[in-house]
Amino acid sequence: MVLGLIMALMAGSLVCMQNIFNSKVSERAGSWATTVLVLGLGFLASLMIGLAFEGGRLFALHHMQSWYGFSGLIGVGVVICLVQGIRRLGPTYAVSIVLTSQLLFALLWDSLGWFGLTQVPLTFRQILGVLVIIAGVIIFKFSGERRAA
Amino acid sequence: MKGSLYAFLAGGFITLQGVANARISRDIGTWQTAAMTQFTGFIAALFILILVRDGHWKMFSQIRPLYLCGGALGAVIIFSNVTAIHQIGVTLSISFLLIAQLGLTFLVDSNGWFGVSKQKMDRSQFIGIAVMIAGVAILGF
Repeated sequence: MVLGLIMALMAGSLVCMQNIFNSKVSERAGSWATTVLVLGLGFLASLMIGLAFEGGRLFALHHMQSWYGFSGLIGVGVVICLVQGIRRLGPTYAVSIVLTSQLLFALLWDSLGWFGLTQVPLTFRQILGVLVIIAGVIIFKFSGERRAA
Repeated sequence: MKGSLYAFLAGGFITLQGVANARISRDIGTWQTAAMTQFTGFIAALFILILVRDGHWKMFSQIRPLYLCGGALGAVIIFSNVTAIHQIGVTLSISFLLIAQLGLTFLVDSNGWFGVSKQKMDRSQFIGIAVMIAGVAILGF
């Protein structure tokens, strides 16, 4: 429980920093050149850290299924939709919708338990919790209209 | 309307990506998952970049090296996101992730770190984060 919590907080902090850095790159280099750079470096970093921890075992992909090789395309969908959403709505509206939708889909995945995840039955308390978080997101984003990310 | 649909799909894809990574990592390992999915994405993005030709390569030299290295963070982001989903499920993971993300954004903006223009913060942003934490408390405890 505590490990999961710390990991989620770490991921969120790093996402914040990456958003800031990427937007600085994107301002000058364009969104696709930025995406290429970000994913290329992310790949290299994963490869090097993986090699450091696991050595040659990194390449032993025993239970590989072919769709695993294509799941990275989801990331391209993220970029297309983000760029289009922000272009049409501006960052405040777009990011509020993105964050809200992330939470709603999370609830959906947990309650369906697809992909072999532990199924968490949907309760009133969960729905209430997610709605309250969404309210917080909206208060946060719209109190700072001027700000992106 | 179309913009809202794009934004809604973007959020769905972000969550789907975390869930798919969590699933794949059970079979082939977490670092392997991070490397493989980012490699596929890299190749696809490279093709698109060649097609749309919106890269401004000369501009790269004007960008601070620190900002250019942001992509490397992706390795640790995927690793910690996958581990969190395994440990506490998707909803709680994303909730904590968003609180950390917006909380740090708030700190960065109010202090003007990383060359972000310093913003004056108002109380309603504190309230927004407090409300989010209350929501997580309802969810998890």
